[in-house]
Amino acid sequence: MKVWVIAESKLMAQKASELRRVSLELVAKATAFGDTELVDVRGPERYVAAPAVDALAKKAEADKPDLVLVGSTPSGRDLAASLAARLGWAYAGDCVDVRPGEGSVEVARTMYAGKVRATMRLSLPAVVAVRPNAFPLPKTPPTDFQAQTVAAEMVPQKLQFVRFEPTKEAKAGVPLAEARVIVSGGRGLRGPENWKLVEELAAALGAALGASRAVTDAGWRPNEEQVGQTGKTVAPDLYIAVGISGAIQHLAGMTQSKTIVAINKDPDADIFKVADYGVVADAFAFVPALTAEVKKAKAAA
Amino acid sequence: MKLLVPLKQVPDSTMRIKVAPDGKSIVTEGITWSISPYDEYAVEMALEQKDADPSTTVSVVTVGPVRAKDALRAALAMGCDDGTFVTSDENAAPLVVARALAKFVEQKQPDLVLCGRQASDDDQGFVGPALATILGWPHVATVTKFAPADGGIEIWREVEGGHEVWKASGPALVTVQKSDKEPRYASLPGIMKAKKKELPELALSSLGVDAAAPKIEVVKMETPPQRGGGKILKAADGDAASVAAELVRLLRDEAKVL
Ligand SMILES: Cc1cc2nc3c(=O)[nH]c(=O)nc-3n(C[C@H](O)[C@H](O)[C@H](O)COP(=O)(O)OP(=O)(O)OC[C@H]3O[C@@H](n4cnc5c(N)ncnc54)[C@H](O)[C@@H]3O)c2cc1C
Ligand SMILES: Nc1ncnc2c1ncn2[C@@H]1O[C@H](COP(=O)(O)O)[C@@H](O)[C@H]1O
Repeated sequence: MKVWVIAESKLMAQKASELRRVSLELVAKATAFGDTELVDVRGPERYVAAPAVDALAKKAEADKPDLVLVGSTPSGRDLAASLAARLGWAYAGDCVDVRPGEGSVEVARTMYAGKVRATMRLSLPAVVAVRPNAFPLPKTPPTDFQAQTVAAEMVPQKLQFVRFEPTKEAKAGVPLAEARVIVSGGRGLRGPENWKLVEELAAALGAALGASRAVTDAGWRPNEEQVGQTGKTVAPDLYIAVGISGAIQHLAGMTQSKTIVAINKDPDADIFKVADYGVVADAFAFVPALTAEVKKAKAAA
Repeated sequence: MKLLVPLKQVPDSTMRIKVAPDGKSIVTEGITWSISPYDEYAVEMALEQKDADPSTTVSVVTVGPVRAKDALRAALAMGCDDGTFVTSDENAAPLVVARALAKFVEQKQPDLVLCGRQASDDDQGFVGPALATILGWPHVATVTKFAPADGGIEIWREVEGGHEVWKASGPALVTVQKSDKEPRYASLPGIMKAKKKELPELALSSLGVDAAAPKIEVVKMETPPQRGGGKILKAADGDAASVAAELVRLLRDEAKVL
């Protein structure tokens, strides 16, 4: 089977030359079942679908890969869906597993805002977007693959980039959807002025910051940090929920996490129903203690 | 400005979802249906523009089974001007839905089409990009805001660390992300008005779209394994440090995530 992995680096603009981890995860996975080619789209500095899709579709029609894998990041997913539509190929987004078969590919993914796990079978050729962290990265980077670049040309008159407006609170760091560790804060933290509590814990852990919708709606934190049905779906190794009640729409976005820690002062909070480790405590007393212990443990390691 | 929101009716976000005995679909009995959350944000975004400029029209369209008509009524009750109902069976292929919507867009000629980022039933996020691709229109993903600008429309796209502002000089499509504006509730007069409006109906088969689509089938659906049965640690006043130390030990030695 001939597999393409779309390199996500150029697509994400900001760090032009660095390949995203998810692309390596996909290459490593793909080499296990097919002749793998890493395809890098060179072109406009900022991702927009049309030029990349035009270039990739032309190349795909000539090269005829059976399966195109794309990292299910916001841009990657948009590209994957657009490319599948252009080629008239089967499509599945946000997959967590890919199992090729005879003339078809099976994927595992969630549906109904994360409340159902589904196995779907797609006819080949197909375009599949795979969630970051779905496959482990091997210790030794894969070498058994080809690489090619495809040139994309911006069509300037229809859509033009005007400017970038940074979010006030935004900090450079791990993007939420790809983070291995996430510390999320809820309304229990009472106000944006208390965020240093979770920020310090996140810094000690090397974690990304998340938030409940109550928090983003109140404007305490930017929307891009929201986890849940109308926010990001995440599946890190460790998810720490601080002062979050565990509403069904929040759970929809984080119950796929490997280990969940909940810190809440209400012993009946729903978040404890999904937690591997629940701490019934006042966050204001407990989180600083936890930060201190994490620092101690990291220093000892 | 002419705005069009293609919307989908899905199980309400508060619903627990059960897998049906066939293991390939969900139990629909007892489900309350709503406009998909991102589509509601799209409707709100369109209505904000209408608030700012009353000459704006906001149309909605859905492709779906009979029950989906309620979603159109709900959007009209929020303040949309007109709704079109394209009847189809439950499982029209996404590519066919996109083709049908493309026919409708070509008739309607809106300046901007606002789709949801993804519908919270299939969670695919396919129909928006597919519709733009079929139309040959430029599109921008994960959009939180738009505004008319000199000779076009400015579009705010949420990316890591901020927003990219793009400008479309002709008709365009956006897929809508959650924004700061909470979708409004329907007003009572809005509901009364919506009840009286006609909802033109078209059969999907009458649109003359190519019904061939790649095969995408659900092999199996499962409820995710129940979590829980976790360890509960109680940190009463004063022993925060020792409980924190215990938690760190568990995360390192038992869960192996530190
Ligand atoms: C269509 C739709 C989509 C939605 N999408 C999302 C989504 O994507 N993400 C999301 O999160 N929500 C979403 N929601 C909202 C969701 O229903 C909840 O309202 C929201 O998750 C609640 O946020 P919270 O847990 O921070 O706040 P609350 O429910 O108010 O919980 C606060 C928690 O903090 C605890 N607490 C208070 N003080 C302390 C303290 N000192 N120490 C420790 N704990 C304390 C309390 O016991 C409580 O459990 C959605 C809702 C709808 C209708
Ligand atoms: N049957 C439908 N009728 C109208 N619009 C739809 C339909 N299906 C999907 N859409 C639109 O496409 C978006 C993405 O849907 P999906 O590809 O199902 O995740 C939705 O948020 C809607 O805006």
